[in-house]
Amino acid sequence: MARLEVRGLRAGYGRTEVLRGVDLAVPEGATVVLLGPNGAGKTTLLRALAGLVPATAGDIVLGGEVLGRLPAHRRARRGVCLIPEGRGIFRRLTVRENLMVQADAGGLRAAVEQAAALFPILGQRLDQPAGTLSGGQQQMLALARAFLTGAPVILADELSMGLAPVVVDDIFAALGALRREGRSLLLVEQYVERAVAVADYVYILGKGRIVFAGEPAECTSGAVFARYLEGAA
Amino acid sequence: MKAYLPFIVAGLASGSVYAIAAMGLVVTYKTSGVFNFAHGAVGMAATFVFYSLRAHGGLPTWLAAGIAVLLVGPAIGVVIDRLLLRRLEGAPSSTYVVVSLGLLIATQSLFLVLYGPAPRRVEPFLPQSTFRLPGVNVGWDQVILVVIAAASGVGLALFFRTRFGTLTRAVVDDRPLAELSRVNAGGVTTASWVIGCAFAALSGILLSPLLGLDAVRLTLLVLYSFGAAAVGRLVSLPLTYAGALAIGVAAQLATKFVVGHQSLAGLPSSLPFIVLFAVLVFSPKGKFAELTRTDQRSGRTGAVAAGRFPARLIVALALLAAVLPGRLSSGRLLTATAVAAFVLVFSSLGLLVGMSRQVSLCHVVFVALGATTLARLLDAGVPYLAALLLAGLIMVPVGALVAIPAIRLSGLFLALATFGFGVLAQNLLYPTKAGFGGQAILTIRRPAIFGLSLRGDKAFFVFVVVLVLAGVVAVEVVRVTRLGRVLRGLADSPTAMQSLGVNPLVPRVLVFCFTGFLAAVAGGLLGTLTLSVNAQTFDFFQSLVWVAALVTAGPLSLGGAVLAAVLLVWVPAVFDSARVVQWQPFAFGLAAIFLSQARNGLVGLLRRPDFAALAARHQWRRGSVRLAERLEAQRLSARPAAREVTDGAA
Repeated sequence: MARLEVRGLRAGYGRTEVLRGVDLAVPEGATVVLLGPNGAGKTTLLRALAGLVPATAGDIVLGGEVLGRLPAHRRARRGVCLIPEGRGIFRRLTVRENLMVQADAGGLRAAVEQAAALFPILGQRLDQPAGTLSGGQQQMLALARAFLTGAPVILADELSMGLAPVVVDDIFAALGALRREGRSLLLVEQYVERAVAVADYVYILGKGRIVFAGEPAECTSGAVFARYLEGAA
Repeated sequence: MKAYLPFIVAGLASGSVYAIAAMGLVVTYKTSGVFNFAHGAVGMAATFVFYSLRAHGGLPTWLAAGIAVLLVGPAIGVVIDRLLLRRLEGAPSSTYVVVSLGLLIATQSLFLVLYGPAPRRVEPFLPQSTFRLPGVNVGWDQVILVVIAAASGVGLALFFRTRFGTLTRAVVDDRPLAELSRVNAGGVTTASWVIGCAFAALSGILLSPLLGLDAVRLTLLVLYSFGAAAVGRLVSLPLTYAGALAIGVAAQLATKFVVGHQSLAGLPSSLPFIVLFAVLVFSPKGKFAELTRTDQRSGRTGAVAAGRFPARLIVALALLAAVLPGRLSSGRLLTATAVAAFVLVFSSLGLLVGMSRQVSLCHVVFVALGATTLARLLDAGVPYLAALLLAGLIMVPVGALVAIPAIRLSGLFLALATFGFGVLAQNLLYPTKAGFGGQAILTIRRPAIFGLSLRGDKAFFVFVVVLVLAGVVAVEVVRVTRLGRVLRGLADSPTAMQSLGVNPLVPRVLVFCFTGFLAAVAGGLLGTLTLSVNAQTFDFFQSLVWVAALVTAGPLSLGGAVLAAVLLVWVPAVFDSARVVQWQPFAFGLAAIFLSQARNGLVGLLRRPDFAALAARHQWRRGSVRLAERLEAQRLSARPAAREVTDGAA
């Protein structure tokens, strides 16, 4: 059974509709990669799943429960963790305070220990404003949230954007760790080949609709994928 | 030194009350990003409830105060947050300014209507006995005030060290991310309003025995806390607390120094506003960063589309003016003349509030000083037309002075600085020779021009209409030419305008100078119409009401200025009832709150009802969203190609 299922989802900003009926499923413990050209609606899809963009039609089903119009913080409490585009951190808060926001009440000490074990560099910079960290460190802090909250569904929007290749390796290693913990991952990535290599399933979004869905093996040989790579999907 | 001790003690006590008010203001701002201009009005409302419960309900003081501080204040906070502010999310900061100003005006005028303007005495509830320290008698009430403020400050400081404190800062830093992190951001914001409004209530109650129960004074005294909050840059609680004490002591000491200097009588009560204006204007650039987050993606930056030159409306107004003298009684003709002068007032204000998205809260200063300058120049024997022109020109440097904060500060902070300037001008400039001087009333005689006497009401009406039309045409020309385009561009994105090679300094100074000139001319005409001017007519509070009236009517077009003038001047004159006059500011305040998001106030709704956009913005109601979609679908099917409004700004 799918951990997260999306049926006929429509959403947009004001007068422009971005998603025009999206169907998608993230199976339990699977890694699903979402590809598509700029403006296809990838980010909007993730934001709609997390509750930041109101859906105008369609259903989002999380573990058998229809999310409906649940606000973002309720969805997060039910186990949907979106790591947004850019840097998903509170820039004006210190690293420790960032972890405090992520941790459950009273769980700060454990959270700090866990984060320091995952990313030792964060443990050394606990009292530094998060905005002063390097790009890679900021992204690690953002990723730490996925680990700390124990959310079963992780939505990650272009985690590797703007990072040095060596840092991207770290990010993918962290995603691998999340996967081994049995979390379900929905990744939007621009490193297509790396993403497809870790994927169990691939969707391609084009102009607000799913234009391809299939196994990584079929998609790399498929015509749709070729067209997407040429930027025409 | 000994002579100053009593003043220092009294200053610490009054400063403590301001500290309570100011810390409440800062808590709300730093945790919700909304500066509450209505903070004083909230305190005033809760104090009235306290008074009623105690004096009429017979409740013991502690219970009445407890209800007012712990229930009424917080309840008002919840209402403000949930009903008024929730729907504004992502709007530009000037919208928030307008809404909280509307709330200030509506609340204050509501209580003036309900309880009447006469202040009531509030029985003191703190002990009146004193004890002796070396060199000074100290009242126990003063000690209690200081202790309450200090305890509140420490309590708040501790509160912000808890996990909840961190969560509130997280919400301010990045609201969507906080929600993604399982934080109920709405709940956190509401809590901050609850705390802030409880502090407002507490400060109002503590002030009431000193001031009496007076809707206007209670509101204003809590406004003193603005200066202290500015010292704390609106975010630092310790600095705010220290600033409030310093202002309290300085104001008390100033009362000692100004004894015997009539012209400086306004100084002590102006100190908080001097601090407010000075801190905003002189602190290094970037110290005041806005916390309000404007949502660029949903296009809510307040960008203003270019209008056309309203030639037809101007011709229609001219024709209307031509037939009016024959049709109206002489009393009504005077009203019509006042309406015409106010069209110029609002038209010039619209350049700032509407087109440039710069909420200026000191417009009345230009109008008042224009009238007084005209009176002085006429007394000095300057011919009328030259005097009127000179009065306008003399206001140009004043406009440039106000433009200084406008260059450096955006949205909220410009509104605060102009607010401070407005109060300062009333307290310090009005009593000088340039203003009203010692006299309560300055008289202005109607002139004769080129041998034509304007003593008669008809002739004067025609004279005013001609000048107003000339001014309005000038405003409309600015609107549709380069200066207007640049100002609209600056309102939308200063960075983009700078990248096009526009120096933002020049257009901003120009528009303030131009506005000051026109408002001063309008003030001169108003003074000539009524044959005299007094300081009461030009109370700084009028500036706020004018902004509310203009936002209600429509700040973006000439039609809005005309409608605002009609609503402000003609409606109460025609209905000729005290009720209408009393309720008018309340109506403007309320209307400004609800029309702040409309594209162009009532005029915009009348002209091209854009219910779709309005409903889409009120997303807190599901039904309205669906309605918006339906209307939008209809619109799209009716018009095959939606034309993008483009404005090549440069």
